[in-house]
Amino acid sequence: MTQYKRLETTFLGVKFENPVMLSSSPVSNTGEMVGRSFDAGFGGVVFKTIGAGKEKIIHPGPRMAGYDYHADRLVGLQNVEQISDRPMADNLADLAYLKKNWPTKVVVSSIMGFTKQEWRDLAKASEDAGADMLELNFSCPHMTVEGSGMKVSHAQALVGEFTAEVKNATGLPVLAKLTPNITDITETARFAKEGGADGLTAINTVQALSGIGLDDLTPRPNVAGKGAMSGYSGPAVKPIGLRCISQLAQAGDLGLPLSGCGGIETWIDAIEYLLVGSGTLQITTGVIHYGYRIIEDILEGMDFYLADRGVDSLDDIVGKALPNIVPTDQFDLTSQGVADYDLDRCVGCGQCHIVCHDAAGQCLGWDETQRRPVMHEDKCLGCMICSFVCPVASPPMIQYRVVPGKPEILPPVSR
Amino acid sequence: MEPGLTMNQALAEASRCLLCHDAPCAAGCPASTAPDLFIRKLRFRNLKGAAKVIKERNIMGGVCAVVCPTCSLCAQGCTAAGLDEPIAIGALQRFIVEHAWNIGFNPLEAGEPNGHRVAIVGSGPAGLACAADLAKAGYSAVIFEKQAAAGGMLQYGIPNHRLSREFLERELEDVRALGVKFRLDTAVESQADLDRLGADGFEAVFVATGAWHCATLNVAHRDGSGLVDGLTFLMEAKEDKDELRAGLTGKEVLVVGGGDTAMDAAVTAKRAGARDVSIVYRRSFVEMPGSPGEKRLAMDDGVHFVILTQPVDYVITDGKVTGARVVRTRLGDPDASGRRRPENLPDTEHTIAADLIIEAIGLEPAPTIRHLDALTIGDGERIQVNEDMRASADLPIYAGGDAVRGASIVAKAVRDGKAAAAAIRRDLEGELKKELGR
Repeated sequence: MTQYKRLETTFLGVKFENPVMLSSSPVSNTGEMVGRSFDAGFGGVVFKTIGAGKEKIIHPGPRMAGYDYHADRLVGLQNVEQISDRPMADNLADLAYLKKNWPTKVVVSSIMGFTKQEWRDLAKASEDAGADMLELNFSCPHMTVEGSGMKVSHAQALVGEFTAEVKNATGLPVLAKLTPNITDITETARFAKEGGADGLTAINTVQALSGIGLDDLTPRPNVAGKGAMSGYSGPAVKPIGLRCISQLAQAGDLGLPLSGCGGIETWIDAIEYLLVGSGTLQITTGVIHYGYRIIEDILEGMDFYLADRGVDSLDDIVGKALPNIVPTDQFDLTSQGVADYDLDRCVGCGQCHIVCHDAAGQCLGWDETQRRPVMHEDKCLGCMICSFVCPVASPPMIQYRVVPGKPEILPPVSR
Repeated sequence: MEPGLTMNQALAEASRCLLCHDAPCAAGCPASTAPDLFIRKLRFRNLKGAAKVIKERNIMGGVCAVVCPTCSLCAQGCTAAGLDEPIAIGALQRFIVEHAWNIGFNPLEAGEPNGHRVAIVGSGPAGLACAADLAKAGYSAVIFEKQAAAGGMLQYGIPNHRLSREFLERELEDVRALGVKFRLDTAVESQADLDRLGADGFEAVFVATGAWHCATLNVAHRDGSGLVDGLTFLMEAKEDKDELRAGLTGKEVLVVGGGDTAMDAAVTAKRAGARDVSIVYRRSFVEMPGSPGEKRLAMDDGVHFVILTQPVDYVITDGKVTGARVVRTRLGDPDASGRRRPENLPDTEHTIAADLIIEAIGLEPAPTIRHLDALTIGDGERIQVNEDMRASADLPIYAGGDAVRGASIVAKAVRDGKAAAAAIRRDLEGELKKELGR
């Protein structure tokens, strides 16, 4: 397994060979599985969430459903998975097994209590088992008991109270894992900080309904005739994850290290999460889709990117995009432009003409003889939707071109 | 037949389609099957709508999907070729048609009966297309077929590896479901037969008897052993595979010709166990009129291509053909077809031995077509028609398909059948209006 010097980092005082961990989910369910992920290259694990065992955990069947776009599989993943259904003792034994056999890897214990006592007990037990860190699951969207999972985040004060219990019970660094299913994720984060959290993880899954069966009139997954508004993950939620991490990173009063997750599949996704302020990263759906082997290209790709930019440590790029993320009223509106066509490369499908006509400025005519679009630049809004549908996309034959002094374009009144 | 696409394969292929503003594929289909529309409907998961587009426009939509040389028709202008390769339009069409069959969806309905009766001679794709369109408009359409089974060349001339009988039978069901009647084993091949149709109350006749007569290099030995024409060979192969296999195992076979019949015969002979099958063709590979897909299939099956080689006669031993005398050729200037003319090279004559020679050097309408006195027969025994498919100035007789074009493709036969149905409707319903107005 290749070691990447540039990818080493320290997060919440714990040393990481690389910042990419399995997130708490089916992919981190057992010691044997996680061991193989370490061998494949993952830098750490947030182990499948451990409960106190008072409630018997039974996973619904089936527990997941894929969301496809046309022929692309698993653009998103819907799940009604519960926390670990294994005996607490087995999970703790596996934590110890991992630390014993992979001492350089970081083992984070994800815990979920229903009472303050349970939170304390779980934290202490995890510490005794050798965990390097704790992650408090305040965000599972499938919990129905008040004061558990995502409902902790909704009753915001509990976030602080439970975090404080854990902090008092152990000396381990503590991450609070937050839900995006809330108006302002930074508010929950402030309660976590008040309770003493050392860092934050975001996002847990987005509460969603990814599909309704047209024959059975039931959401997916169909669990014996019923479905639930439940957790949605994968590439489809990456934009929401990036937004939440950016909000947490830009909230000046927080200042907590962040562990980013939500739809990471390639090194590009990983770098994006770093650029908006994540210090470490977590992955589940990518592994559910492709297996642990995806870590190879994530790490190698990140290392090539850093090398290409002459950066010696990933720490140097964390948050580097944040100054460029602004409210819309800070845009320079004097800069305007148009869609610039390289017609030599056009194949003549006319999709640009159709969408400009129906969804933009009607600036693209159509030459029926040549089968090519005809640009009337004086009507081009510069919205670029034509470039989104153009099949000549690598590199794009339609590019944005700034036009200094471009006059304002206002469509005339219809008559 | 090779298996068709799965749902996911079809959706993936449809998602490659550029959904052109002015789809060139649509202009490329002789049968106006509208690939631009059915692919878009597939893309947006309207599979029933897609099947409706195909079957309403082309009753032989399934057959066309599997036998049509799409690369020279719809797929030829495909814009996606500018990026990588043309969309597999035939494969998508087949998927949609078979999907509709699988879910029991039939978009076609017979029209309210209007009392008109039309006779159709020949149950190939032209006759079927004409009958289907008339039935949809409320006509009583009766197809007279000389052979024991319906389908014409589709039934007898296209080998099972390209079009299975089960597949054709399923498509024929769609025609029967419209109420079209079939009179099998019933030839209409004399003027007296035609006159009788009029006496039986048929107000119009569509003649679509196809092109079933095979050219030969040696008329004298046509019926001798060791020599068979391509169509007869394919018909026999379609009937009894075991007998064919017994006769061909370990044998040397020569196929003379370069069209699809030659490719079909060569592949069929090879798959039936012939040791070596050689296609002998007087021009070069690119001039062969066979469609690229069929040529490719023959190559993949290990058929030999003996090009630039002209058979001049057969070797006959004890009344049996035992080989071909051939000369080498080179290509000269283009002829009327635009292809370069083969010129025999001197002192190159030699003999290729063979246990069986299959002649596939061209099909045309049978000379018996001349028995229909009302028709005008032109070059290549082809029936002359005007732009409305009308084959007689005085009588309501129409013609189309291979009987008019000479051997051609299914999509063009379908086009003719549709055009004839439209012309018949114009003529008969125009008269009906006149009668009502009186």
